[in-house]
Formats: sequence, C-alpha cells, structure tokens
Amino acid sequence: MSYTIGIDVGGTFTDIVVTSPGGATTMAKAATTPGDQSDGVLDGITRAAAALHLSPSALLGQAGRIVHGTTVATNALLEGKIAPIGLLTTEGHRDIIEMREGLKPERYNLRMTPPVPLVPRRLRLGVRERMRADGAVEVPLDRTSLDAALDRLAAENVQAVAICFLHAWQNPEHEKAAAAAVRQRLQHAYITTSADVLPQIKEFERFSTTVANAAVGPVIEAYLRRLQARLAEAGYAGTLFVILSHGGVASVDEAVRLAAGTALSGPAGGVAAAVALAREGVARDLITFDMGGTSTDIALVQDGQANLSDGRAVANARIALPALDIVTLGAGGGSIAHLDRSRLLQVGPQSAGAEPGPACYGQGGTAATVTDANLVLGYLDPANFLGGRRQLDVAAATDAVARLADALSIETIAVAAGIHRLINTRMADGVRVATVRRGVDPRGYALLAFGGAAGLHVAAVAAELRVGRVVVPLAASVLSAWGMLNTDLRVELSRSQTQRSGIDICALQAAFAAMDREGRERLGWFDGEVTVRRSADMRYGEQVFEIAVPLDAMDWSSPTLGADIEAAFHARHAALYTYSLPDQDVVLVNARASVVGRLPPASGVSAGGGTARVAAKSHRRVHLGTWTDVPVFDLATLGAGQALAGPAIVESDTTTVLLRTGDAACYDVRGWLDITVG
Amino acid sequence: MLIEGPSTITDPITVAVLQNRLNAIAEEMGEAMLRTSYSQILNSSRDFSVALIDGRCRLVAQADHIPVHVGAMPWATKALVEVFPTPSPNDVYMLNDPYRGGSHLPDLTAFVPVFDGPTLMFWSVVRAHHSDIGGATHGAYNPGATEIWHEGLRLPPIRLTENGVLRQDLLQMLALNVRHPRDFLGDLAAQIGAARLGEQRLNTVIAEFGGATLAASVEAMLDAAERHARDIVASWRDGVYDGTAWLDDDGFGTTNIAVRAKVTKQGSDLTVDLSGSDPQVVSFVNSSHANMQSAVTMAFAFLLDPDIAKNEGAFRPMKVIAKEGTIVWAREGAPVTMCTSHCSNEIIESIIVALSTACPDRAMGGWGRRLRIAIDGRDPRTGRRFIWHMFQARPGGGGSVAGDGFSTIGEWHSAGGIKFGSIEVAETRFPLLFETHEYRANSAGDGKHRGGTGGDMRLRIETDGPARANTAGEGVVHGTRGILGGKNGAPHDYTLLSPDAPPRKLKSKEVGVVIPPGSVIHVLSGGGGGWGDPADRDPAARAKDAVEGVIA
Repeated sequence: MSYTIGIDVGGTFTDIVVTSPGGATTMAKAATTPGDQSDGVLDGITRAAAALHLSPSALLGQAGRIVHGTTVATNALLEGKIAPIGLLTTEGHRDIIEMREGLKPERYNLRMTPPVPLVPRRLRLGVRERMRADGAVEVPLDRTSLDAALDRLAAENVQAVAICFLHAWQNPEHEKAAAAAVRQRLQHAYITTSADVLPQIKEFERFSTTVANAAVGPVIEAYLRRLQARLAEAGYAGTLFVILSHGGVASVDEAVRLAAGTALSGPAGGVAAAVALAREGVARDLITFDMGGTSTDIALVQDGQANLSDGRAVANARIALPALDIVTLGAGGGSIAHLDRSRLLQVGPQSAGAEPGPACYGQGGTAATVTDANLVLGYLDPANFLGGRRQLDVAAATDAVARLADALSIETIAVAAGIHRLINTRMADGVRVATVRRGVDPRGYALLAFGGAAGLHVAAVAAELRVGRVVVPLAASVLSAWGMLNTDLRVELSRSQTQRSGIDICALQAAFAAMDREGRERLGWFDGEVTVRRSADMRYGEQVFEIAVPLDAMDWSSPTLGADIEAAFHARHAALYTYSLPDQDVVLVNARASVVGRLPPASGVSAGGGTARVAAKSHRRVHLGTWTDVPVFDLATLGAGQALAGPAIVESDTTTVLLRTGDAACYDVRGWLDITVG
Repeated sequence: MLIEGPSTITDPITVAVLQNRLNAIAEEMGEAMLRTSYSQILNSSRDFSVALIDGRCRLVAQADHIPVHVGAMPWATKALVEVFPTPSPNDVYMLNDPYRGGSHLPDLTAFVPVFDGPTLMFWSVVRAHHSDIGGATHGAYNPGATEIWHEGLRLPPIRLTENGVLRQDLLQMLALNVRHPRDFLGDLAAQIGAARLGEQRLNTVIAEFGGATLAASVEAMLDAAERHARDIVASWRDGVYDGTAWLDDDGFGTTNIAVRAKVTKQGSDLTVDLSGSDPQVVSFVNSSHANMQSAVTMAFAFLLDPDIAKNEGAFRPMKVIAKEGTIVWAREGAPVTMCTSHCSNEIIESIIVALSTACPDRAMGGWGRRLRIAIDGRDPRTGRRFIWHMFQARPGGGGSVAGDGFSTIGEWHSAGGIKFGSIEVAETRFPLLFETHEYRANSAGDGKHRGGTGGDMRLRIETDGPARANTAGEGVVHGTRGILGGKNGAPHDYTLLSPDAPPRKLKSKEVGVVIPPGSVIHVLSGGGGGWGDPADRDPAARAKDAVEGVIA
C-alpha cells in the first residue's frame, strides 16, 4: 500500500487530496498560480505533506499514484494564448473551420463579428491531393504542393501543424505521408492528423477538433513534461495521470497526444466524484449541481454511470472528442441582478466574478449579486462565510439591493427574495436542460450539491423540479480532487462505418477488433485488468442526429447480430423520444469502444464526528416569506444519524445549506447531509 | 411599480420568473422538434419555428429559429380563430394556405389550444417547412408556377382531431398528396408532439401560478418589451426615409421589380409604407400578406437589441401599410412559394436601407440572396434515383458598426440559422464531388466595414447519364446593398461547365436544365454589403484582406 494524491487546479485554489495506506484522507489547499500551475501544485503537495507530518519527498517517495486535473488547455483557448499553428488541408477546402457549416450564434444579432479562427487563412494551406468517399485515391498526394506549403510553414515558424484531409477517416494514407514530411522538415513542431484525433466522417467536427488539438498541444506538452520532471526531482517515482474530458484518466504521453481531450479536465473531477459517491451508496441516479461564483455545472449520473456527449465548444473551438455531458450555465453566486432596458428584473448573465466580487465583499463592487441578496435575506452569516475566511458587509449588500428596490418601487426585502427566486428558476431550467430535454425524468434522482453557492439554492431548485432528495457531501470543496482518485484509465476510440443503410457486420467486427487492439496497445504499459465496452452511434436514414446505443449486451456470435443491433437501436430511440420506426432504414455511423484499465479506488472521504446529537450553535433571523428565527448547525460536528427539521441553517467552512420549512435532513456518517425536500 | 393589466395580481418578480419559464418552454419545444423530426430540412437545416401565442392572438414567447416565421405566427392564429372561434381542449389544428394565414404552402403550422378551465389562454404553435407538399415539382419551389394550384396542396384552417384523437383518415389524405408520405408523417408527428409538449408545460405553469396571475404577467411582459423598443426607437433621428430593393425578375419577362419602403419615424413610432412597391408578377416571388407582415417585423427586430423579448409588445411601435395587388401582397390565386426568401429579403433590405441614416449604428449592410439548385438524377453506385438540394456556397452577410460581415453565412431571412452540412456526407450519399468549396475572392462589398465573402464552389456531377437541375432564387443581377457609402456585394454567378459544350450561365428561375455526365457546376455566390465609406477602412484590415486572399 502507498499514498495516492489527487490534484485539482481550479481558478482560485489548487486542491490536494491524499489517501493514506490506512485509508485516512488528508486535504490541503494552495493558491493557484496561473503563470505556471506546477508552482501551486508543488506548494499544495508541500502543505499536504506537512499535514501528514512528512517531508514532501517522503510523501512523494511513498506515493503510488498521482492524478491531476488541469485547466491549462481551457485557459489557453479562453485567453487565446495558443501556439502559432499551420493547417495543411485538401486543396480547395481551406475554409472549413471558419465557415462553421453556415451557422452563427445569436439569431437576431446582425451586428456582431465572426469568431476568429484558431488558424488564420494565410496559414491554412491547400495541398494537392484528394480521397474519394469510399477511400479510393482521386488525386495522388502532390509532393511539390506539399513542399511549397512546408516552405511557408517553416518561414512562419509555426510550433504546431494540423493535417486535415477530406475523407481521411476512410483512408489516412495521405495524412500519414504528409505528417512524415512535416516531421522531417519541422523537427520540433507538434504534429497532429485528423484521422488520428477523430477518425470519423463529418469534416467540420474532425478538422476543428484537430486544429484545437494543435493549438493546445505544445502548451499542454510543455506544462505536463515540466510538472512530470519537477515531481520526479521532488522524489516521485510513479506515473503521473491526467484526468480527461471524458472522466477517465490517461498517461502524460496520451494526454499530450490528445491535448484537446484535456479541455474539460477541471469539471470532470466533480463528475468522477459523483460516480464514486453513487458507487458508495448515495444513490444510483444523481444529478450533480455544482454552483460556483460565475457558473454552474450540471451533469447526470444514471445507474452509477456518467453520460458522454460528442463534445462541445470551448471559446468557439468545437472539440468533438467524447466528453462528459455537462450542462454549464453562466450563472452563480456572483451573478448580477439588474433592470434590463424594459425595466424588468434580470439576474445575469454578467457576473461580479472574484474581482470586485459581490457588493458585500467590500472590494468596490456596487452591483447587487445573488450572494448580496442571500446576505440581505439572512441566509449567510457575515462573520462566518467560507469558515470565517471572509467578512461580509451587510450594509453594502443592503444598499445594492435597495437601489433596485427604489427603481421597482417595492421593498428591499422583496427584491432580495425575488433575486433568490429568479436564480432558482434559472437553475431549475438548467437541470431541465440536463434531464427533461435528454428524455430523463428528474423526479427519481437525487441532487448532489457541491460548489460554494449550491447549498442555499439546491432545496428550492429540487422543490421546483419535484425532486425529493438532496445530498450535500461534507468534503464538497475538495470533491473534484477526490473524484480523480476514483476513476479509471480510459481510452475512448471510434471508427466511422460505411454510411449506407443496413449494418455491414464484417466491417463492424473488424472495426471493433481494431479498436480493441489499439486500446490495449495504448494501455500496454499497464499491468492491471483491462475491459472494453462497445457502443454505436446510430440513426434512421434521413435523420442527422445519431444516438448512442450501448452494445455490451450483444451476443457477438449471434447469427442475427445485425437485426439484434437494429433492435437495440429501436428500443433506445423509443426510450429517448417516445417512438421508434421499426420499418425504416437504420444507419450505423460510428462504432465506439471505451477501453478501461481498472485502477484501485481510493477510500471514501468519511466523516469524523461522534454519535451524540449536537445542539444548534446559534440562532439567526432569516427571511422565508416572513422573518423567522431559525437554528444554525455546524455540519462538521453533527452526530451520526442526527436528524434536523427545517427551517434551519447548516454551515460548513465551504458552504451554507438552507433547509426551508418542511425540509428534513439527516447526517449520514459516510460523509454527507441527506435532505428530504418538503 | 404598479403592474398595468386586468388586475394587480402579479408583481415584478413573478413577471420575471414567468418570462423565464415561458421562454424555457419555447426552447424545449424547439429542442424536441430538432431531435425528433425526420427529414433533413428540419433536423439539419432547422427550417422550423415555435411560438406561444396568447388567447388574443398576440406573440408572447418564441425560440430563436427562423426569423421569417416568427412575425407570421400571430397572423396564422388570427386566421385560425376566424374559422374556429371556440376551439376544444385536446384538439390539434393546422393550416398552410397563404391566403388564409399561411406564408407559403410548404410551411405547415400546427396549433394546440391551452386552457385555464373554460378560458382559452394560449396557443402552442409549431411551424415546419415540409420537404414536399405536392404540386407540379418536387420540393414545392416551382419557378414555372403561374397560379397557386401549381404549387401544391392548400389547407385552410382545419381540425386534425376528433374528440382529441388524430383523424387517421385525414392524415392519410394529406400524406397521399405529397411525394414522401413517410417523411411527411414522421415530421408531422414530431411537429404535433412538440406542440403537445408546449401544451403540457403551459398547463403546469397555469396550475402553479393560476390563470389570472399568468394573464396579468403576460400583459406586463408585453408592456415591458414595448417600453424597451420605444426607448430604442426614440433615440433615432426623426424623418421620412425611402429605401428600395430590387428583384432581378419573375422569370416570365418582368425584370427589375422594386420593393419600395417609405418609413416615417416620429418620436417612438414607425410607420412602414410599402404601398409604392411594384405590382404583383406572374411567378412565385410574390409575397403573401402574412409573410409581408413577418418580413417587416424581422427588419424591425434586426434594428432593435438582439436580446429584446421577441413578443407583440416589442413590435407595437411599428405600423405597416401595404396595398393588395403589389409584389409584397399578392391577390388570392397568385403563386408565392419563393416569398419566405424572395421577396422577404427585399422587403427587409428596403426598410433597413431606408432607416440606415436614421440609425447608422444599428443598420447593417445587405445580407445575401438565396439562389437554390436542386439536382435530380440516378446514382450509378446504387441505380437509385436521387434528389439533392444545394445548401453549400452560401452568400455573405453585411458589415455593421461592429465590424466586417460573416462570410458564407446565408441570407437575411435565416441569418446564420441554416446549416449546410458535411460535404463528406454529401459525397457519400450522392454521386457528387466537391472539387472546391471556399471563400470567393473579390465578392465582398467594400466599406469601412466590408461585407462577408460569398462562396466559390466547383461541384462535379458523377452520374452516368444526364441529370436535371432546377434553379430558384434571386440575386444574379442585383447584389446585396451596401449602406452609408458602403459598396454592394457582388451578385451571384452560376455557370454550368459540361464536357464538349461552351460554358452556360444559369439563370435564377430555370426548370429542367440538362446536366450531362461529368459536368461541373461552378457556383460563385454573392458577397455581403459594405457598411460606411471604403475610404475610412483601416489600411491594416485592407492589407490583411490582401494577404488572406479575400481580395485577389
């Protein structure tokens, strides 16, 4: 046995969770260092070691596994701090990434400028070559035009090259030959090809993902290699793992190869934690509700599994790699309430952020935020916010809310209650997007609340959705870092199939066999158990959206395999959209394999605490329609199984939970507050 | 603040909460439609819209889909209510006739009434463009049509249900009159499903808040949007302004057809008078009344703030005057299928050109004109017949105060809402090879902020026998308009290049053009209009255009 270390780099804090050979859990926080995140990581490890009465080298020397979540790729894309890159593409088609299939956001906004592509047009260079849809060569790769393009890229001193040819998903030979030529000519460049990154039909998704990979590749490579070297220098002899957007972890080499796959590395930890908590018995079906200062992440865990989506956009860059299906709302505790031009009250989308922050932070903010409204309503303790790390200014919050009240000619407290109600409605709609619009009824689910702002809103959000149960884990603040220690090695692979109706079983079997081989090869260094899960993206003939059909239950030797797979698709379609069309053509677009290397789970973040009932530490007047005196409890000291009845406030050093009249709660010794919504 | 309305049984907080809830319902209906519809025109090209209309036929909420549908929905509802003044719960209604509330025949509009007890409160409305609606040619766009009966099946307001159950005999009758009955019924099911979903969600809101509070809140929402819109209009310069936009022709000998807008702006009121427009013509570029109203609404919406609540209140400052028998409002019987693009685009352009000096920081250079091609042939790989509709090589958008326009983004009426899809998928499914598909050099209208570029596409047709093509659209003669000194975008230029034949320019309204095997269609689509004097353009921007090949 040895230590395992989870490291989650957030916007403000770097969280460290260490699990000890005996099963104990130690947490530490360090300030995030945006210039070089590895400084904050090393600082955090030093603090965690100190808490364990160890030197950093002793802790690292005895550590068997380090799992890391990083926002380096996301920040590079958001801030536009990306490497200069070149794109080699099929002659006559160099505008695919900028055309974006003719779509533009904000339908009624005709006074906006187009998104700036990751590669400017002058560095998108056509190479004379062409594959046909069936993979046959239409125009052979022309070395003269390739060399001319390489001259340009060399002269421009690009650090990365994306190679994206049409129909490379069918035949990657031209891309491979071009990559070899680039490697020879630009020895230090990061090189990536579309058939390697995403061997799927549909050029816009494939090309833009590959270009995003080139954009963040050099940045991720430099960062992870540096961190790896610094950890080794500090005494770590084990493997450094990175959590990817799909929620599984990978080696540094793999994270560098698919650098764009780290774009959702940050929020992935929270979902991984939810999956682990589902395994620990919280509930098989969970909705994560991670409400922070500026945004809220919502994701589904169904029957103990998180769902994947076919990617998403990060700062206008479409990344079509499988990613956890997380709905992100641009609203949180820092969202600003204001009157719009029609003089209706709105909350967000502007946020006060960390600087200047809500008015009550006393850092110069004057706008009324959700946090200010919560303070005016008495839900927050001005002297005990974030465990007393920050004092809140009630007068400043009241002034900010009163200005809106004057404009609306209603009472200040009514506006504060209105802001609270409006944000709850927004949050409930976000949960509907993640559930109802994906064909899931949320009522059988439990809401898992984490993130600093979640506790005051989650019960009301649950009530609006008729969700009966809310769970608030004790370790909410470091849940993401802990989640990283409870996920597995994973390689997500896909292969497009011939796009005609009917399933070509031979081709499908061959694709799955090839992916099986590739996945096991990529995990070749790993000596644990490896399993493969199969699925397919399928649709009816003329439809455009594919749905994911799990194929694990298939009998691969069945003589009626094709019909079995089609039947599985019809059933899945009916489950999602209430109907199926059994007499219609079915197209299997992509075969997918998820190759998983099982890692031993870390122990739970169990709570201490005795068995005695603990009395309220104080009472506070809060506004729940009328002013009401309610007891205030300290979450960390509650006794095992202790029951609480709303109205009440439960505080921890990372969040405050509001139990409304009718809500009931019970402290579960496994480390969470279990709320029955009234 | 006092809430004006039937009573004071709401408050500003409830109004804000309900506005969020109603918008979310419209979004959810749209999402359901996108995911469950069957044909490509709906699930890929997204040619559908949803709206919540109140019991007084006023637009209350919508989701941002196809702008040209939205202003038309209240007119459709009015026409429906004239025929069915007392709708029954659980029933589904439908119409498409352009002379009875519809815009053009392929757009079928489904309505489900929503009640609070006995009181009609809302209509949950879903409009969808169906891939075929019968008539003389596939896909409804028939440049040869000289009367509406050539264009397809006409539906006055009808009830599709009996005691709340869909009448299968009626559905079969409809399906029998269109070319792809299976797609048609699949899309219709999705459409009705989305309208029903809206009904369910509205019922929840009514149960939760009560009909009286909801009704009072709706009044407050409409009034709020009106305040917002008037606030904007009041900041424009007062005056009487003229704008003209030109259609190339009707394909039957009438050329240079003018849409003329005289816009009077005084205080916070606008009057748009289109009655000086040219007389109606023979072919399908005529507009129906509802479509004309919608196009005017859309032009106004483009000049307001993008985030303004798109409801009846926002459009109250605007009055419309038009004359029956003109190109913008044809008399019953005339063909109108093209009107949702043309003459909608010209109506919008004439109004925005007119108001460009009244509100220069809000007006934008012209967005592209639509010129579609459909190819009908036999796929040598399967032996099966195929019909392909071109959505690629879209025209450019206009420049604005914000900067240069979007390239290859589409037209005024869809404003970047129609996806052209993957050419890899197109080559897999059709015997086509896209030799090039890039930006078209020298197509953007110059200006302080130039328009976006059009497209340059060379499409090889790989059939083993002759295929046939139809064109339908506009913009071969007249490019999109530049404003405030900005230049016009280049017009479209489509050429058929066939082996052993001289290049042949394609006109904008042709039926049955023979495409010999191995032909290439070279599409050069129009650029967007410029904004402001080209002399004021930043030299660095001009240099970048040269380096990037936007200017050759």
